[in-house]
Amino acid sequence: MSYIGAEVIISPLGETTEENWRALSENRSGITKVNAAGYNDENLFLGSIQNHAAESRFTALTIRALSQIAEKIDRNVLSSERTIVILSSTKGALDVNVTDQFQSPAAMLVEEFKLANQPVVISNACISGVLAINVAGNLVKNKIYDHAVVIGCDVISDFVVYGFQSLFAISDQPCKPFDAARNGITLGEGCGAVVVSAEKSIFSESPLHLLTGSSANDANHISGPSRTGEGLFRSIGKTLNANQISGEEIDFISAHGTATVFNDEMEAIAFDRAGLSHIPLNSLKGYFGHTLGAAGVIETVASMQMMRNSTLLKSVGFGETGTSRSLNIITENRQKELNTVLKTASGFGGGNASLIIRSL
Amino acid sequence: MSFITAYCHLRENVCSVNGELVATLDKSSEDAWFKQIYKAQEFVYPKFYKMDTLSQAGYLASELIKRAAPYIVNDYADDEIALIFANKSSSADTDLRFINSYEHNGAPSPSLFVYTLPNIVLGEIAILNKWYGENMFAVLPKFTPDFFLTHTQILFSTGSKTALCGWLEILGDKIHAFLFLIEQAGTGKPELNIENLSNIAGPEIIHN
Repeated sequence: MSYIGAEVIISPLGETTEENWRALSENRSGITKVNAAGYNDENLFLGSIQNHAAESRFTALTIRALSQIAEKIDRNVLSSERTIVILSSTKGALDVNVTDQFQSPAAMLVEEFKLANQPVVISNACISGVLAINVAGNLVKNKIYDHAVVIGCDVISDFVVYGFQSLFAISDQPCKPFDAARNGITLGEGCGAVVVSAEKSIFSESPLHLLTGSSANDANHISGPSRTGEGLFRSIGKTLNANQISGEEIDFISAHGTATVFNDEMEAIAFDRAGLSHIPLNSLKGYFGHTLGAAGVIETVASMQMMRNSTLLKSVGFGETGTSRSLNIITENRQKELNTVLKTASGFGGGNASLIIRSL
Repeated sequence: MSFITAYCHLRENVCSVNGELVATLDKSSEDAWFKQIYKAQEFVYPKFYKMDTLSQAGYLASELIKRAAPYIVNDYADDEIALIFANKSSSADTDLRFINSYEHNGAPSPSLFVYTLPNIVLGEIAILNKWYGENMFAVLPKFTPDFFLTHTQILFSTGSKTALCGWLEILGDKIHAFLFLIEQAGTGKPELNIENLSNIAGPEIIHN
């Protein structure tokens, strides 16, 4: 049995989990218009953290997140030999040094928090966060470590903005996941962190259960979503089977929902094939934008907060069904006890991953 | 118990499979090194020419491993082959090329941008083989046998039957690709342990 808790979000919506939850529960979005952010100085909508100057914004964010984690768990855990830190990120500190995106930031964490083990970096595009939490759960389940801290972080840089612009993948308005008028992603930045542990007693606030899941490749295209949702369908099926959970037990799905035309269509097909299209679902991209390697962690944390507050959060940006298979997308916040939650992610390289969080 | 059943080394000027030389860099050739191997091995996969160097290296080494262990294509179901790769520099080599495209070459290149993630090579191998299994790419300070032992063990406990593993480090003119196949049966093959994997990986990769 693995526990998951001590969750942290740092995002445009706030510096702490509490600030983020307040904003989410009020359906506030962290997406704003940023002047001259594009390659040709276009104004772009971005989920960027204001007033956040640092030599390495990536390193600063991960240190702030881990400092908050330290306050939420037994004080001996972080520096224990039985603890591993897993960083989930696509581009790390690329804006500081292209050829040292991860090692120096990881070394800073080791120094700052007296970590006993070298952090492991998981870099699997947009499924990194969900994959990293699954890796954490498996390391704990197999008793390789007793505790695993997962930190998902990515920052906005010219590199990623220009790249997604070159793919014509950036929305001209705040992103509208699953909506008929969606036309692309809104990039975001932030940091999410969770602790996965074999021991319930290390958490100052009661944790939840992590039921680790599986990843599956689409085997279809490196940057285009599958037309059949095969990889996501397989990942969800394997995750449910491995944990002996039926689709009927899922109370809520935290989907990936990037708001590109093809991604959201792919997800709708996969959820429909999995018999889950009636389950309440949202995409949190309308709040945070797409935070790439951080997204899976930030969205898992937000889903855990939804469980703790018995609240289904509105899928911001959604108005009218825009996929060939209809989904039960949450259009207004409502109170509901959430015992079993499915989190999914899909990304470049054809990756798909899923996990389940369950209340104790 | 698991076994190292096939492996491929790809360096700046030599390529070998199971310790036997299959190609040596021809400095007089007009073709780039990876293209020399592609042609000499008579591979036919035009997508090769669109790939970045990380994906080309992963493609060549994984195809050579398949030639050394051709049975894997039929003996395992399409979701039973896990891909566990790692390196030190992520996709920095292609990241630099992409930055060059918008700083010095007129516009950000979408065909370069899609390769600016280290896990894209896993997607390329999955697409070519129609493999729907588990994928994982880690960035580590150095080649660590223990990492591969741990994660193959974990994935074998969750449904994967075999693992194609790789250390795939490319930056500038430095190339260090080492792919190896881990299976749960392997009569006469070296057992997967730190000592055997370190020996097969070779001293240069261990001390780099």
